[in-house]
Amino acid sequence: MTALKKLTLTEPELVLALQSKDPAVLKTLYSMYSSALYGVISRIIVHTELAEDVLQETFVKIWQSASYYDNTKGRLFTWMMNIARNLSIDKLRSKDFKNSLKNQDIENNVSFVDEQNKVTFNPDVLGVKQLVENLKPDLQAVLDLVYYKGYTHVEAAEKLNLPLGTVKTRIRLAIIELRRSFN
Amino acid sequence: MSVENLKAYIESGVLELYVLGDLSPEETLQVEEMASQNSEVKDEIVAIEQAMEQYAMQNAIEPSADVETRLFEKLGIIGEDEITNVTPQPVYSEEPRIVRLDSSNGNIRTLRFALVACVALLVISTAALFITYNKLNDAHDQIASLNLDKQKFAGVVSQLEYQNSGLDNMVAMADSKEWATIRMAGQAISPKSKMNVYWNKKDKSVLINYVAMDLPKADEAHEYQLWALVNGKPVSLGMFGKSDSTAKEAIVKMQTIQEAQAFAVTLEPMGGSVNPTMEKLTVMGGV
Repeated sequence: MTALKKLTLTEPELVLALQSKDPAVLKTLYSMYSSALYGVISRIIVHTELAEDVLQETFVKIWQSASYYDNTKGRLFTWMMNIARNLSIDKLRSKDFKNSLKNQDIENNVSFVDEQNKVTFNPDVLGVKQLVENLKPDLQAVLDLVYYKGYTHVEAAEKLNLPLGTVKTRIRLAIIELRRSFN
Repeated sequence: MSVENLKAYIESGVLELYVLGDLSPEETLQVEEMASQNSEVKDEIVAIEQAMEQYAMQNAIEPSADVETRLFEKLGIIGEDEITNVTPQPVYSEEPRIVRLDSSNGNIRTLRFALVACVALLVISTAALFITYNKLNDAHDQIASLNLDKQKFAGVVSQLEYQNSGLDNMVAMADSKEWATIRMAGQAISPKSKMNVYWNKKDKSVLINYVAMDLPKADEAHEYQLWALVNGKPVSLGMFGKSDSTAKEAIVKMQTIQEAQAFAVTLEPMGGSVNPTMEKLTVMGGV
């Protein structure tokens, strides 16, 4: 029990408490991961209010479908992140969203264009130390599309006008790059 | 799978797509099977996951505080404590509360049933009481009318007994040789009147029979007086009531007289007179 007194819990502890429907664990989970998940969501949905709605929906879904999480198939965060991404993408593609927030689409496009424009900047020249910017621009472009814009790798290939194999390779290379920098 | 093939599989980028959730269900199953069979694949997946997780952590954005509030309101989770060691206590402290609620609910339900039962009993009792009260009233009425009937009947019976005893006596006297019946006939003031006097030849006792008399009704201030005429002199034999007297005995014994030539009845003031009032001579008859 003393281990549980920490504000953060190890993943097995979290999973155990979550699957036993312990309400207190959701608070812990929220304090540990809400900002990371919100980071993912708000990169997909720029509109703050909607992004926060999706964050809430994400935690509701995590809470309600905790029993479906299988720790042999992957890490808890991966599972939660994919819930957040799927809900975000669903929201983005929903008719309601497209109809009621036409401006949002433009905003999205603008931010998308912004992301694209980063390619033209040399991060080293700008002195930005952030990992994302350390990525080679072509790798970052692919990663952004599939990770943040909710594109499948097939859609990303069409979008970037690249062969499917190239997109897959670039995704892998981007992630290897991330792994290297974290290590 | 050969080492080369395994390397090629890992490098194909399918594991990254797996972590990103960008594979079809069939492909996903294939990856999971590969991961369960090859620790290299499993390790690679974990490494990708950790990279993505750290990447997300690096790009974290703090949501506004009211998201948390709304979330826990929506899920009905109250309390500020986010530390899980509080967990076991709520679990234990909640359970007795649930039991208590259940039992109190049960009590309330029981009490409700009891209340309904009481009300039902009250209604039934009231109805029964009302019916009983009506029946009791009917019974009272019946008893009253029966009582009246009984009184009438008793009156009739006593009247009949009275007459019967008188008639019996008359028959007995008529049969007997000891008794002489003196018939007295109506006089000037009441020609229709008649009366019998029975005189015992042996002990000289005198009886009158209310049944065997028909005299006018005497008023409140007067009664009849029986006289015997002995050698032309009237001798009082006593007073008697009105002809429809309510006396219990039909037969009344008068004073004895040793000898008499005639008997007479006069109407006298209450208490009688020493000498008969001849104007009020009602009946008279010789022996």
